[in-house]
Amino acid sequence: MQKPCKNAAAVLVALFALAGGAAPALAQTGVVQGQVVDATSRRPLSDAQISIEGTGIGQLANASGRFVLLGVPAGQQVLRVALIGYEESQQEINVGAGQTVTLDVDLASTAISLDEIVVTGVGAETTRRALGASVEVLSAEEIALAPVQSVDQLLQGRVPGATVSATSAQPGTGSLINFRGISSVFNSQTPVIYVDGVRVDNDQSTAGGTGGEQSSALSDLLTADIEKIEVTKGGAASTLFGSDAATGVIQIFTKKGTPGAPRITGRVEQGVELPELKYIFDTRLTFPKQVEAGEVTGTFMEDNYFQRGTTQNYYAGVTGGTADVTYNVSGRLETRTGTQPKDGSTNYSLRGGMQASLTDDFSLEFSGSYVRHNFDRLYNGTAIADPLTTFEVADALFFSGAKTLEEALDIFLMPEITEYVNRFIFSTSARWDIRDDLNARLTVGADNRSNQQRRYQPIGFVPGEPTGQLNRYDRDFTSVSLEGGATYQWSTADGAIGTSTSIGVQGFREDETIISAFGRTFALPGTFDFDAAATRDAVEGNTEVFNGGIYFDEQLSLWDKLYLGAGFRIDAGSSFGDAIDTEFFPKATASYVLSEDLQLGFMDEFKVRAAYGQTGSFPGAFLKDRTFFAIPFRNEAAAGFSNPGNDDLGPEKTSTIEAGFDAALLNNRVGLNFTWYDARTTDALFQVPRQPVTGQGTQQENVGEIWNWGIEAAVNFLVLNTRDVAWSVGGNFQFNHNEVTDMGGVAPFSVDGSQKRVTEGMPVGSWWVTTPTDTDGDGLPDGSSREFTGGVPVPNKSGGVNTTVSMGDNLTVSVLADWAGGHQVFDWGSVWSTFNGIYRRESIRCGTEEGALDGCEHAFPIRYHTRENGATPRGKYSQNAARRAFLYDGDYFKLREVAVRYVLPESVSTPIKARRATVYATGRNLWIWSRNVMVDGELNGIAGGGLDLGGETSVTLPPNRTFRLGVEVVF
Amino acid sequence: MTKTRITLGARRMTAATALAAVLATLSACEAVDPTRINNPTTTDDDLAGANNPTSALVPGLRAQFARMINAYVSAAEVVSDNYSIHGTGINQDMDDPSAVTSDLVNGTGDASSGVYWNVQSLKALSDFVLNDIVPTDSDPPADLVAEASYYRGMAYLTMGEVFSFAPHEEDGPALPAAEALSNALRDLSAAKRFSIAAASAAEARAHRLLGNAQAAETAAALVLDLDPNFLHRQEYDAQTIDNTPVAFLVLRALQEMQPLPRLDFLDPKYTERTAAIAVAKAEEMHLILAEVDLAAGNLEAGRAHLVDAINMAGTRGTTEFDDNDERRNGDLSLRPRDSEILIRSDADSPYRAGLVLDRPAEGLETPTVSATSLDADSVAELSDAPDLWHALWLARQEMMFLEGRRLADLGIKLPIMLREIDQNPEINAGDPGTETMMPSWVPLTPLYAMDVYSPMELYDGEDLNAELLEMRVTIGVDMNRVLVENDASPFR
Repeated sequence: MQKPCKNAAAVLVALFALAGGAAPALAQTGVVQGQVVDATSRRPLSDAQISIEGTGIGQLANASGRFVLLGVPAGQQVLRVALIGYEESQQEINVGAGQTVTLDVDLASTAISLDEIVVTGVGAETTRRALGASVEVLSAEEIALAPVQSVDQLLQGRVPGATVSATSAQPGTGSLINFRGISSVFNSQTPVIYVDGVRVDNDQSTAGGTGGEQSSALSDLLTADIEKIEVTKGGAASTLFGSDAATGVIQIFTKKGTPGAPRITGRVEQGVELPELKYIFDTRLTFPKQVEAGEVTGTFMEDNYFQRGTTQNYYAGVTGGTADVTYNVSGRLETRTGTQPKDGSTNYSLRGGMQASLTDDFSLEFSGSYVRHNFDRLYNGTAIADPLTTFEVADALFFSGAKTLEEALDIFLMPEITEYVNRFIFSTSARWDIRDDLNARLTVGADNRSNQQRRYQPIGFVPGEPTGQLNRYDRDFTSVSLEGGATYQWSTADGAIGTSTSIGVQGFREDETIISAFGRTFALPGTFDFDAAATRDAVEGNTEVFNGGIYFDEQLSLWDKLYLGAGFRIDAGSSFGDAIDTEFFPKATASYVLSEDLQLGFMDEFKVRAAYGQTGSFPGAFLKDRTFFAIPFRNEAAAGFSNPGNDDLGPEKTSTIEAGFDAALLNNRVGLNFTWYDARTTDALFQVPRQPVTGQGTQQENVGEIWNWGIEAAVNFLVLNTRDVAWSVGGNFQFNHNEVTDMGGVAPFSVDGSQKRVTEGMPVGSWWVTTPTDTDGDGLPDGSSREFTGGVPVPNKSGGVNTTVSMGDNLTVSVLADWAGGHQVFDWGSVWSTFNGIYRRESIRCGTEEGALDGCEHAFPIRYHTRENGATPRGKYSQNAARRAFLYDGDYFKLREVAVRYVLPESVSTPIKARRATVYATGRNLWIWSRNVMVDGELNGIAGGGLDLGGETSVTLPPNRTFRLGVEVVF
Repeated sequence: MTKTRITLGARRMTAATALAAVLATLSACEAVDPTRINNPTTTDDDLAGANNPTSALVPGLRAQFARMINAYVSAAEVVSDNYSIHGTGINQDMDDPSAVTSDLVNGTGDASSGVYWNVQSLKALSDFVLNDIVPTDSDPPADLVAEASYYRGMAYLTMGEVFSFAPHEEDGPALPAAEALSNALRDLSAAKRFSIAAASAAEARAHRLLGNAQAAETAAALVLDLDPNFLHRQEYDAQTIDNTPVAFLVLRALQEMQPLPRLDFLDPKYTERTAAIAVAKAEEMHLILAEVDLAAGNLEAGRAHLVDAINMAGTRGTTEFDDNDERRNGDLSLRPRDSEILIRSDADSPYRAGLVLDRPAEGLETPTVSATSLDADSVAELSDAPDLWHALWLARQEMMFLEGRRLADLGIKLPIMLREIDQNPEINAGDPGTETMMPSWVPLTPLYAMDVYSPMELYDGEDLNAELLEMRVTIGVDMNRVLVENDASPFR
């Protein structure tokens, strides 16, 4: 039994009260006011952060770039102005008591922010110029402008090197996120996620199966009130996280408020959602007889099933504070009705952040959030009870036993699937500047996510359990994190040489409990409780994991242009086998701001960097142990072999060498980033099968090697920068080569379903599907075997393009598109429809360029006999024997977002006493181009736990086209 | 705006208090203590502390035996001519013996593809109990040790019946079926304390497969002496391990296992998730005795045993249930489902009535143990050896329908699991046992040759009220005639 940590919050709140309770000391003050403008174009810059150094007085510039700071202590002061994309400005000002200082602040734009502070993956706060490994940063401004709801959506198209693929249109589902290729054949590739230093749940499969579109813990990591997000993609930037970071780390920092009078933000948003029907072929294809007979229209589903969804989104927040205590508190409510019946969600969230300087040298931070997410879900994907699939593969009448399609649809809409999520995340941090050159930090926090799903099939639901059935799935996840460290900094008197030495501890513990219960056969309708079921059953699963270690990090700076770093982490984990004590993860980095020494006319800044770092991925919680399972069978507990056990089980290790450059060109109008990496995963965890004769299943062993290399590039170009118009264009690109280089003596095996294979010399999960073959060399197909297609389910290249146009002081239009390619996607819908004599693939593709490529009859060629002379036809191949035909080119390009924001003139906002009022309109998932016409190349409609490669989909509705109109007012 | 300031002393105190509070809070959280991880599953250490470990583990053998029966019955019925597949729950290639590969027989569940896995799992778990647990148990109950021997014997028996070659130990070579059957006999002889009749019935089957006529006859006769109505069944549990075939025969909307039309009257036999599957029964013993006699040329005695079997089957019960099976193929066309339909076993056989029942139907009677279309009087009049042999094969097919015997009767042996081929250094692809083995008499043309019949279009459309257009159906091939013509008995 664990002792609760509830006291922690109470203690810390009391400390905040103590800090706030001290007696104030009054002083004579003045006012500082002015306007922030772009130094080149003279265009006013809104949202610049203005502060008086050392006082805690600060403000954001309004839409006209103007600011007014009240209560500034009289005397010499330093005015700081900072804005992402611009060099920070510091000016000394002399404030007279009772007087007003008016000044304009010119900010010079910068294409790469070398002075930006980064904390992820380094022992202490470090400027970007010192980083040897690539770290991506999403700023508060970028996040606030993005028309997305959750963090996974935010990353799509915005982070170079990230491939982000959505699951479906249903609420609560997350996206597959991958950085730098597949580094494991066992572990999920979702990066680990920290919120204010607390490791949070990132599980992609947190509820009972409804056919593939799984509820994800990513969907309730909301984008509201985020100060910034730092993204590391493995390698040296992730080394200090030890055996938990091979897939990269996403660090989310929430807002703790800025000093000043309370600023209240209110936002109201209304929207509509339209189904994306590009890959829905409807009854004209699947029920041609009924359409021909005039019983239904060819668009039965479009007319009777799909609907226009609506969204309402309300937000209210307040931020402010004194010099010593700041706060940021907000609440949000979003309701959504989806584009399919019984497909909706309600999301309530509360978030608060505080920062308190208890003394000059001691400060505390606290943040906490609560999210409640309710949603209604449909059966989907592989479920026979899925209304969409059953109509799209022509099963609807058969499985429902109905006479008409209308009646069948009524039956398929009988089930009720509801789910709720309660999630609390809190973090508290303390920082003590013991001396000017020595500080210590401690962060502790927790994430608790509990969710309950109920899947109810009422009496009479013929496609499922006609006597009634109730499934309930409860999951409770708790993660407790701790990080503590100290940093000592030293420099020569002239600052030419400096060092920063950090040591620390970092670790977490996760507890997960899943209980799923099942009741069948109800006597009467209306019953929704297990008590009334004729038979009941329940199963339970528990896992506990601890992983932690100590780290050391040394940074050396030479003449403010050459930076060298080295460090390591020593890790221990509860999932390591008994023969493994600790694991060692080293790193080394180098960075050189070449432009300090080499002046080229067109180049403003140029930094080269290189890094080596090792990261890990720990094995499954209890897979080191030899275990025995037991299930109830005929009133006895029946035991059997479970896990074979492995004392030598350790983390898989990924060693990454990377090198690249960051450059600002043409008067800081062009920014370039380029990174090349080579990542070798050794001791890769393979599920090594035991010989079946032993009765043992599979056992994780550190036997494999996986190689990833690739490039990541990003460019930003400020095309126009005039007083009236600013226009920027950007893009990013990544390419990855993935290969299993050593099987460790293990025979090839399948992962993530039976059609994706792991074998030496090929990418992880290469498609391996049944293909008609000619076994006797007569030129005619007579056999079938699984063969590699040369394709993979994960895109090996992806990217995004964006452009933003600002016109005048008020109007901003931004557009984002993303694409991915190099992968193949499997079309289960067409496979299943063949059982009903419906040839979706052939019907749609025949007559098209795509269909002509393969030939319309390709899926089911004639199978011949090998034994007899004359090549007797045996009939057509079954879909089982000719699956290759259902793999298509997965390339896609999507117009992901268009956003128009208009800041209302002060003549409108001032009368209502608003600092700023903005109206905006956004669209998301607006247009798709895909090389194949059958399935959305992005979707991963068949999801599960562990390694999830995606690339296969049932009949799955792509993310909805969403249009939102909103008003935001800041008081 | 005002600033908050506190004195230096207070600042130090506050900082110290804050640090102490954070550390105190942290120390209260045992959640960060890595030593408190607890595996909720039984480990080796836990097992070592178990009281009466033999008693604790034998229920696991019972469950695994139930899984094995499920798996091999499902596999045998669909690969053989008894059933064809019309849906997604079972890979359709299982219906085509030539397409059954080691990759297809690679499952670890108890559906049709998991037969190899489940046989070896039962053997390995029995080995563990008999070799590792019983010797360390201070007081292993003798009846449970005998029961464990029975399960290992049955694992070997099934191995020998279903596979031509299979390994018996880790890194061991694939051994021929005869060695598996020999091991089965060894273990079954040690299982008499569990049930003399059940062990002897299994011995009779093993001897038959080995072609040991005398020993098979002795064992079969012993069983009938002990219990003329002998019936040993495996019971199931609706909650965890239920009767697998029921899902494909009754529960799933597609009812994707559809019987050969001439066996329609025997389907579905299992109507509930808990329905028991016969492991061995008196009918099989009578038929073994009959076969021994027919093989020895003693037609009269053989015929008498055949009649005994038919009479025995006639005493077995039926159950009533509401059958909603519409008798559809995968493309939704209708299969024979009217009692007016006459069936002949092949183009050279006479049409017979009474083989097809009206479906869907309320209160349909289906046999739960045995039934046959043969009647004792007619068989009693048979005098030609081929006719008697045909009756024997038909009786075996009908009486042991949905019990898994048919696959071996047809001479088909399944390949071992791909994982075994991949992992065992002594076994390579192409070695004996790694591919389906079937006699040349098994027809491969057209596709699914053992399951086809004509005409395929019997009804005027797909509607349930569609009019029956054709009342005579001919099965493509009569496999019983093929067996007779090829002298397929292991006693010949």
